[in-house]
Amino acid sequence: MEINNGVEDEELEEEEEFGFSRNYFLAKELGGSGKKSTRKLSDIGLVDEQELRAAASNIEPKHEKEIVALMNSYKSMYPKWVFELRCGFGLLMYGFGSKKSLIEDFASTALTEYSVVVINGYLQTINVKQVVISLAELLADQLRTKRANTSGNLSKQPFNSRSMDDLLAFLNGSQTEDKDCFICIVVHNIDGPGLRDPETQQYLSQIAACSCIRIIASIDHVNSALLWDKKMVHTQFNWCWYHVPTFAPYRIEGMFFPMILAHGSTAQTAKTAAIVLQSLTPNAQSVFRGLAEHQLSHPDEEGMPINDLYAICRERFLVSSQVTLNSHLTEFKDHELVKTRRHSDGQDCLYIPLTAEALKKLLAEISQ
Amino acid sequence: MAIASAAAESLTQGTPETTENDLQPFFVFHKASSRKSDKKPTGTGKTRRRIDLSPSSPNKTEKSEPDKAGERDEHCNEHLRTEAFELVWSKINSTIKDILRGINTSVFNEIHHWVLESFNATQSLGTPGFTESTRSFPIVTDATSKLLFTGMVLTGNMEFVDDLLTFEDLGLFLRSNGCHVANLSSLDFSAKSGIGGCLRGLLRQFLKATLYEADISILASWYREQENHNTPVVVIIDDMERCCGSVLSDFILMLSEWVVKIPIILLMGIATTLDAPRNLLPSNVLQHLCPSKFILGSPAERMDAVVEAVLVKQCSGFSVGHKVAVFLKNYFLNQDGTLTSFIRALKIACAQHFSMEPLSFILGGLLVEEKQKGEKNGLQPELVLKYTSQLPSYARNQMAEQNGKSLVHRFSELRRLHKCWSTVVLCLYEAGKYNKIRLLDLLCEALNPDLYTSRASNNHVVLEKDVGVPMATDRCIRRKYSTLRKGGFVGQIVRKVRDLPALMLYQLLKSWEKTTVDVLEIHEKVKDLQSLLRFEDGKLRPNVDDISKKHSSRSPLNMEKESKEVNEKAAALIDCLVRDYLRPIECIPLHEIFCFKNVEKLQLALIGDPRRRIQVDLLEFHKILRCGCCSKSGNVLLPSMHDTSIMYTLAQEHGDLINLHDWFQSFKTVVLHPSSKGKHKSKQSPYPKKRKDTHDSENKGEASIQARFCRAVTELQITGLLRMPSRRRPDCVQRVAFGL
Repeated sequence: MEINNGVEDEELEEEEEFGFSRNYFLAKELGGSGKKSTRKLSDIGLVDEQELRAAASNIEPKHEKEIVALMNSYKSMYPKWVFELRCGFGLLMYGFGSKKSLIEDFASTALTEYSVVVINGYLQTINVKQVVISLAELLADQLRTKRANTSGNLSKQPFNSRSMDDLLAFLNGSQTEDKDCFICIVVHNIDGPGLRDPETQQYLSQIAACSCIRIIASIDHVNSALLWDKKMVHTQFNWCWYHVPTFAPYRIEGMFFPMILAHGSTAQTAKTAAIVLQSLTPNAQSVFRGLAEHQLSHPDEEGMPINDLYAICRERFLVSSQVTLNSHLTEFKDHELVKTRRHSDGQDCLYIPLTAEALKKLLAEISQ
Repeated sequence: MAIASAAAESLTQGTPETTENDLQPFFVFHKASSRKSDKKPTGTGKTRRRIDLSPSSPNKTEKSEPDKAGERDEHCNEHLRTEAFELVWSKINSTIKDILRGINTSVFNEIHHWVLESFNATQSLGTPGFTESTRSFPIVTDATSKLLFTGMVLTGNMEFVDDLLTFEDLGLFLRSNGCHVANLSSLDFSAKSGIGGCLRGLLRQFLKATLYEADISILASWYREQENHNTPVVVIIDDMERCCGSVLSDFILMLSEWVVKIPIILLMGIATTLDAPRNLLPSNVLQHLCPSKFILGSPAERMDAVVEAVLVKQCSGFSVGHKVAVFLKNYFLNQDGTLTSFIRALKIACAQHFSMEPLSFILGGLLVEEKQKGEKNGLQPELVLKYTSQLPSYARNQMAEQNGKSLVHRFSELRRLHKCWSTVVLCLYEAGKYNKIRLLDLLCEALNPDLYTSRASNNHVVLEKDVGVPMATDRCIRRKYSTLRKGGFVGQIVRKVRDLPALMLYQLLKSWEKTTVDVLEIHEKVKDLQSLLRFEDGKLRPNVDDISKKHSSRSPLNMEKESKEVNEKAAALIDCLVRDYLRPIECIPLHEIFCFKNVEKLQLALIGDPRRRIQVDLLEFHKILRCGCCSKSGNVLLPSMHDTSIMYTLAQEHGDLINLHDWFQSFKTVVLHPSSKGKHKSKQSPYPKKRKDTHDSENKGEASIQARFCRAVTELQITGLLRMPSRRRPDCVQRVAFGL
């Protein structure tokens, strides 16, 4: 534990900061934390992790009938939702339960007249620029079919080489007088980990403000509204809020959260690691592979010194400088794919917090 | 794709519903169907539209003919309503824009004047010769040539969101007056993109092209071109305080170097005080600025103007009920305080109205009719009748005549009554200005149907025929101002009119004369009252032929008395107007077509409250699911309840830290409630593993409970109601939300 002094300090600071507000609220609660229990999690008699995962995938659903009835009761609102989209509003769905299937059902039954693009905000990394490019391509496609006989002078330049401002301007353009010509974007978990940063939210709000775009999004976090300032809320997203609790399980949304009772629950599993890796560039994947191979061939070592990794990567032409390597490593560390610890001889070294078996499986998956 | 699907497979382990698409960051769900022209009702069809491609779908044949007709009607109606909304809202929107532009005109003119002056001042420093100007570096002759003319536009508004439109308008205004204008915002001055970001923004707006290599010399050569020369270049930064200080400093320094070649004039919006630039910029930058100050209209002023045009004068025919008006007022005062949010709330109200009220399409029809008189609006009388008969106010008034003609008559009657109402409100507002009464407050009172009915019941003596008899003043006075007794803003106004000095009263009557010009019956009454007054030698005199005949002597004392008498008459008049004409729209038959009243719907759509609602969902889930098993439990936790609900309810008993062990044990106790024994038989686990010699099924039960516990914790984590264990306290999770 002492190794990670920096982390510890940070945490302590955060605790203190948090403690003040916590005490304020607790003072109002009646003797909430009077008797602090000190019992250990390990006293529960945890079952084997694999057994736990197997059981998790076989949890018997409760209230299935009622949930279906609840979902069906929202169907009567579909026409109203379409109406509001046409009026230029964005729809924001909130309430407990996964709203993924509800929104997709809405899109597949009520929005057939419009193209629909889905963004899965619950995933770890999402490239907004790519989204905008494909939106622009879709729109260009739509316009082309619309004026099939008029000369198509639309795309002088391929969309993927244009700047974000250009793309947004295209989506906001007045190429068509038809107000009813728009593309709907469905954003599952607009407050999700891949979209949560301010810059992405700025982009999303700019996309939502485009004349050819309508947005339907869901939020699950109680504090999601804090992501947006007044400009975004009032002039860009232009939300109409809908409270639509579904009580449906967060099956996919919860996939990327560690199970609290699983052994070493803080470690990433091989499966989620694979998803993250696949979203990275081939070079980054190769860097990761270099580290993984080293770890597999030196199972007894505490980790790989950064300089060794740099040397290997240089040899393989994966990175040209320490800076590029560091940027890859930062990315890995952000997703907890790689961690650092102090070697017994004093230098920092890198390791992947996975078992050898999991690591092999992961390598097999990404090298496909 | 193979990789992704493999990952998906391994991820889900037996939940085949997870598709490849669920793990794509984004994907095209479907493309627009080609049946766009053939607009069909959406959303209610049982078959998926994606599948049936032929326009005359055979799948629908099972529907009976009248059903189909009903659906067609419904759809036709929906289409009409969408159109009506667009008509009405675009009318409201353009009215608001005009109003705001009108308010800003004088400041805009002032700014334009200043821009020209500044431009001339820069030009007088001498224009660069050909050789000089073609060089790609700046010319600096002396210190004064590095001065950058800067207009500080004080918005008087803490929320910059209201001023976005103002600065956009300012840009358009200056552009139409022959300036080159670029609008930048604080986003262009972020530390991340640095000076390049704002330069690119400038180049994009001036050169209409995106250049990856941003260089001010490009701008200089652009300005040298013939058609761009000799025109001021204005750069507007709408929210200067939110800019990154260092980037803005660099930008200003750079512009000041180039000011001889490109006569750039800066305009910066400032929300706080004139100190703001001093706080943001270092002194070596400040010395390059040559500032001037402009002040925009206050938010309250703009608010009143918008309310007057949209809700009182009703440019579009759309109006709101009393409760909605009160809600809008409170929303403006308590929630946000920005005009933008008020307008947005109004737009949501408008959209809700058109999406819920079947007859609302008439509003669109009437609006069109107004534009092009004589043309038929295509209302279908049968349809109108069908829906009107369902309106509560229609039923209340038991209208016998059941034909379209009488309906048209009723609409015009409604409009007439409403016109009178708005005229009286405006008269009251004119008088209220002397008492600094806000129009929104007055509006809420004027829309209150309860006040109207109580006024009416107090004065049941007043008969319909009194309307139109000029000046029933004597009786009014005798009744001693019914409005006064009620208090409120109207009461205040009447009282004020009684005490108004003669000169102000004269002005007030003038403004009333102007306001009432469209409503003849009220206009005449005002005229009558005006005829009692004369403006003479800077003093107000009662008219000789009327009053003074009765008072033979004209002593100052009498004068005083006389003018007091005029005040009384004016107060009586406004009191009388209030009683006779201030009839809120909700008290007029058929108002449902034009008036939005559903305040709950508006509130829900406008203000989401995820923090509270999600917690309530969890704590009172049976109210939403309405299941038979959990509803009657009271406060007892039942095993049939939703796992996450059980967990969150249990969490309420803990303090800020929840010991995972304790939490798990209490969860286990709840779900293993005796009555539910044997309910949790989990399916065969691929890895049967015995633990402590307990038999198999119990172990599986344990695994299942632990898995459910894990899932509930994850779900609480997704909702943000829980923080995961920290390294320091690995056995505890943290509660985040306390209280609803």
